[in-house]
Amino acid sequence: MAEDTENKYLTLVSNDGFEFVVLAEAALVSPTIKGMLRSPFVEAQTNRCTFPEISGVVLEKVVDYFHYWYRNRDKENVPDMEIPAEMCLELLMAANYFNLEPGPGQAW
Amino acid sequence: MQVTCFGVKAVSCNRPSSRRRVSSVPSDQPSPPCKELHHQPPLSTMSRGGYPRRVMGPQSALTDYLAAHNISANQIRLDAERRRREAQEQQQNNSQNQANTEASTSSAAPDVTDNPARATRSRRAAAPIAQDEEARKREQRAIEKIKASKKFQKRKRAADSDEDDDIAMALLAASAPLPNQQENCEICAKRFTVTAYSRNGPSGGLLCPECSRDIDKEDAAKQKARRVAAAGRRRQFQSNILDGICAIGPKSLMTLCIETLAKNIDLAEDFGDMPPILIDKVARKLSKLRLLDSRTLSLFLTPTAEEFHVYDGAKLGQDDFIRIFQMVPGLKRLKIRNGIHFKDPVVDYLMTRHIELEDLYLHGANLISESKWIELLQKRGKPLRSLRVYFTDKHFTDAVLAVLPTACPNLTRLKVCHNQQVTGTGVAAIGQIKTLRHLSLDLRKSVHSDIYVDVLSKIGRQLETLCLTRVNETDNTVLDAIHTYCRSLSKLRITESEAMTDAGFVRLFTDWASPGLKYLDLQKCCQIDSAHPRENPDNIGLCSDGFRALMAHSGRKLRNLNIHACRHIRGEVFEEVFSKDKLYEDMEKLEISFIEEVNDYIVGCIFRACPNLKELNVFGCMKVRDVRVPRGKILVGVPNARGMMIEGQSDGEDAV
Repeated sequence: MAEDTENKYLTLVSNDGFEFVVLAEAALVSPTIKGMLRSPFVEAQTNRCTFPEISGVVLEKVVDYFHYWYRNRDKENVPDMEIPAEMCLELLMAANYFNLEPGPGQAW
Repeated sequence: MQVTCFGVKAVSCNRPSSRRRVSSVPSDQPSPPCKELHHQPPLSTMSRGGYPRRVMGPQSALTDYLAAHNISANQIRLDAERRRREAQEQQQNNSQNQANTEASTSSAAPDVTDNPARATRSRRAAAPIAQDEEARKREQRAIEKIKASKKFQKRKRAADSDEDDDIAMALLAASAPLPNQQENCEICAKRFTVTAYSRNGPSGGLLCPECSRDIDKEDAAKQKARRVAAAGRRRQFQSNILDGICAIGPKSLMTLCIETLAKNIDLAEDFGDMPPILIDKVARKLSKLRLLDSRTLSLFLTPTAEEFHVYDGAKLGQDDFIRIFQMVPGLKRLKIRNGIHFKDPVVDYLMTRHIELEDLYLHGANLISESKWIELLQKRGKPLRSLRVYFTDKHFTDAVLAVLPTACPNLTRLKVCHNQQVTGTGVAAIGQIKTLRHLSLDLRKSVHSDIYVDVLSKIGRQLETLCLTRVNETDNTVLDAIHTYCRSLSKLRITESEAMTDAGFVRLFTDWASPGLKYLDLQKCCQIDSAHPRENPDNIGLCSDGFRALMAHSGRKLRNLNIHACRHIRGEVFEEVFSKDKLYEDMEKLEISFIEEVNDYIVGCIFRACPNLKELNVFGCMKVRDVRVPRGKILVGVPNARGMMIEGQSDGEDAV
């Protein structure tokens, strides 16, 4: 994790080649990404995570969520993020993949 | 020079103020009342309008009246035409003059003193730049004044706009017509008398009484919606607190998606290859919104599933339940709540299929007859490990329980809740189920303590869960039996007993061979005497000594403790139990409602002694007044309107 703190940003790559540069601290809300970066995998060295199963559209929304989470992480009464109905199922699968579920003891 | 001059002119002509003054005279555009007057054939010089010639429509009363008073609409229009033509010519002259840099244009101005609007316009058009500048300065001053006014500030807040000048302009324009003058309404263009109370429209003009009333109504509705939304948020926040949800931070993406999906479930055709755990989450949300019906049920029927949970089957019919068994042949664990239509034919169908249920959870299936229950258990009871039956009062009887020991050799969990049929005979039969590890009973018919003692003596040794809900008459003999026979209990619930005493609880928890409870619920084990609520000479229920003994025995392992309404526990015992040198690391939920002596200090002690506490319930503890709650924890039921006060920035900080 030592070298991760030096690199403030991560690059997330979708299966159709879109690259998203994300604040590392925001992306670490996902235990999946956290796990990728903690271990001695290539992601940890290059700060670049490739997701061959997630399309650019969905990954964009996930990145949106990372920043939405980062902005609101300490606030109360946070307004909900808009989720377009048509990509709801794909996004739900992505949320499952990124482990973005309510934490232990947290009902949300 | 030339350019600036044109610029200034263009601005002055476009200003609403000047437009208003001009429009009050029927010159630029005809106002609707004037249209009434246009029945006279227009002149050939008229280029616009396009009214049919020589065709006389029905005349209005106004036209008749005007004709009677020798006022000709045609004459008025002709005058207006002439004036406009003159103005145009003069404007052209003016620009020519300026092009030639000749300032002597004042003589070209025609005599139009009968029209103040024209007068200003022509004067301005003709005036040298210095005069123009002065007019502009005057307007600027007026705008400055308006900007400083309260009305402007209010409007600015409402409009939430940065364009100060636009608003100021609008106000300046709005201030133009004085009361008792006639004006055209900005919205409906009707003519009306301006009063001091006339309202401004959206773009600054005045509104007639009807239109302002409509606008007022809209505004009121908007404000009300805002108020209701704010109240809704507050209510939701309090509701979340009651649910034990600490509303810090945003919802997880999964929750957001599931909520959206549940809202748009009629758009979904298929969940695809979604993992079962996600499908279950969607099913929960959908049932909460009461959206599970025949159509949406199909979405959840995956042929490979081993587990199927219907959290709200109220809208499902008999055929839907049969469909579950048709579509999911490998079903092992079935949970159905509110399954009213889970009837005999469904059970018959289940018995014809080769489905080996391990776990059956039925809630509200009141239409399965006693003989069907017995038949089902005898035919399909062998693989059954867990049987939970809720609110199936009528036909789930002693006879059904009597079948269990022989028909279900693998049963480890039995739960019978809200049952009005089962009596002591049935409970005695439970003692024969040697494999049982979890037993929960919530029976309406009273069962004597001796029967419970008998059951515990037979199967108590391996019991891990024992729940006896609403057992008013059970006494200390049951507690002693638990002490003697139960060695591996981790969950214990005995509620609403009016016969157990403090001494009984002390005996139970002193030198008990059981390693320690994780879940303990002793709510309402107290003496009930409304005439003398404070006196408890026999120490009925869980009192100070029992509480001390229980915390000494199980405190370190307890995760969930409920001593709701055990109101004879003294305050100093709480202070002693949650004193500085005590630490209960596993405690997550504590319910101490309706205990009189709980106060701010005790609540603070509890927060300190239980660092992992998530929720503390203090309903009816009137001495809890102004306690600071560490961030991330929830205090439910504070008896004031403000609710709980959160303190600190992170979980690490302690309460005062």
